[in-house]
Amino acid sequence: MTITTLKLNLGPQHPSTHGVLRLLLELDGEKILSCEPDIGYLHRGMEKMAEKLSYIQYLPTVDRIDYLAGFFYSELLCRIVEKALGIEIPEKVRVIRVLLLELNRISSHLLWIGAFLMDLGAVSPFFYAFRDREMILRYFEKLTGQRMMYNYFVFGGVRRDIDFLEEVENIISVVSEKLNDYDKIITENPIFLRRTLNKGILDKETALNYSITGVNLRASGVDFDYRFQDCLYKGFDIGTVVLEKGDAFTRYQARTLEIKESIKIIRQALDYLKKSAKLEQKLVNPVNLKLPEGDYYADIEAPRGLASCFVRSLGEKEPYRLKWRTGSYYSVNLLRKLLVGEFLNDAIAISGSLDIILPEVDK
Amino acid sequence: MFLKEIINLFKGLFTVFKHLFKRPVTLEYPEKRRCLNDVFRGKPEVQGCIGCGICKKVCPAGAIKFDKDESGKVYNFEFDFKKCIVCGNCSFYCPKGAIKMTKEYELATSDKENLTLKYRGGADD
Repeated sequence: MTITTLKLNLGPQHPSTHGVLRLLLELDGEKILSCEPDIGYLHRGMEKMAEKLSYIQYLPTVDRIDYLAGFFYSELLCRIVEKALGIEIPEKVRVIRVLLLELNRISSHLLWIGAFLMDLGAVSPFFYAFRDREMILRYFEKLTGQRMMYNYFVFGGVRRDIDFLEEVENIISVVSEKLNDYDKIITENPIFLRRTLNKGILDKETALNYSITGVNLRASGVDFDYRFQDCLYKGFDIGTVVLEKGDAFTRYQARTLEIKESIKIIRQALDYLKKSAKLEQKLVNPVNLKLPEGDYYADIEAPRGLASCFVRSLGEKEPYRLKWRTGSYYSVNLLRKLLVGEFLNDAIAISGSLDIILPEVDK
Repeated sequence: MFLKEIINLFKGLFTVFKHLFKRPVTLEYPEKRRCLNDVFRGKPEVQGCIGCGICKKVCPAGAIKFDKDESGKVYNFEFDFKKCIVCGNCSFYCPKGAIKMTKEYELATSDKENLTLKYRGGADD
């Protein structure tokens, strides 16, 4: 008798692969023997494009690297330019950036909660999460002019002074209230628990070997949060969530708890901004902007792990080479290891729990 | 254990049930529209351009064109909204505030020309 295995394509059009991820699975019955992620369906040439555009022309496009957390990437590029030119941003700009980054983190995690639950077959939490996220997006639209492609951070500061702070207060009070609702609907739900508890366990060593960062790493018991070393967050009291177990449920828990931590940071930023004077900043003149020759590097703790940007400049208007490091790229590779030995119906729960977003993977 | 799970399930269902009586958050577009803030970035408008060409230099999509005649004074400014990614760089860096982003975001049209903005400047001086 010969044992035959079945090769199955999961994606790229599968609704729960969040974009266009193709997983080539080899199955023995329902059991996964191997998994081969195939990426590149959403490749837009973000890195090559940088070589043709000047820094200010490139700045609006970096929001699209991760369209759920655009602020993080524009912050990175701004930081590179500010570093290269030796500019120190004013205190108020720094706090505004922290406030917006953390709000962006909440909106990204909220979308993840909705989409993850949708993958597992629960429809109501999807609408609740989107409704709450919508408040944040409307605030961003009011402040920056667009819902997702903000283009609000510029070299040396921000486009305009922050406003509508009472709306931010409203958002964080509503979101923290709604998190209790999520607990009732999701965290105690027996179906959700059975589909996520002890599924896709990621141990410490594997996580570190696969360069996993962000919430996924912290849910596996490694205490690494770049925000502690980040000079942007200087003076802020940051709490980090480190959980031990490393399964899909723990990753869910870690994200909800991180929303609470972000709310605390936003409260501190709000306290500062309410008392602060009018914004005074000196923006860089971006026309004919040239970075001095050299290599520049910057990191930031994005919602999906550590995001980094490397720029090599030859003293021209355009960078000679620009490279992005994104958290999701490493999470996709992890599927190779994490899905082996699991059942097919758990594959969605596991890949969903890693919070993979494809534009960030393909760039 | 089993009973506890059922109780938890109903607890969740009760929370969902409570939401049934809340007001909807969606609007019945196009009968009702959201009011947009002044900073909203929609279709651009040009007025009072001096032809410095900074907008062309900061535009990531190459949507702006300048044609100068031999004298170098009279120029044709052309804004191709089909290429525009509405980043707002041009209006932010314009020294005279000549480019303004309007609140218009419904851009479906039967004529391509409606998506091109033309401005002839410098002729009066």
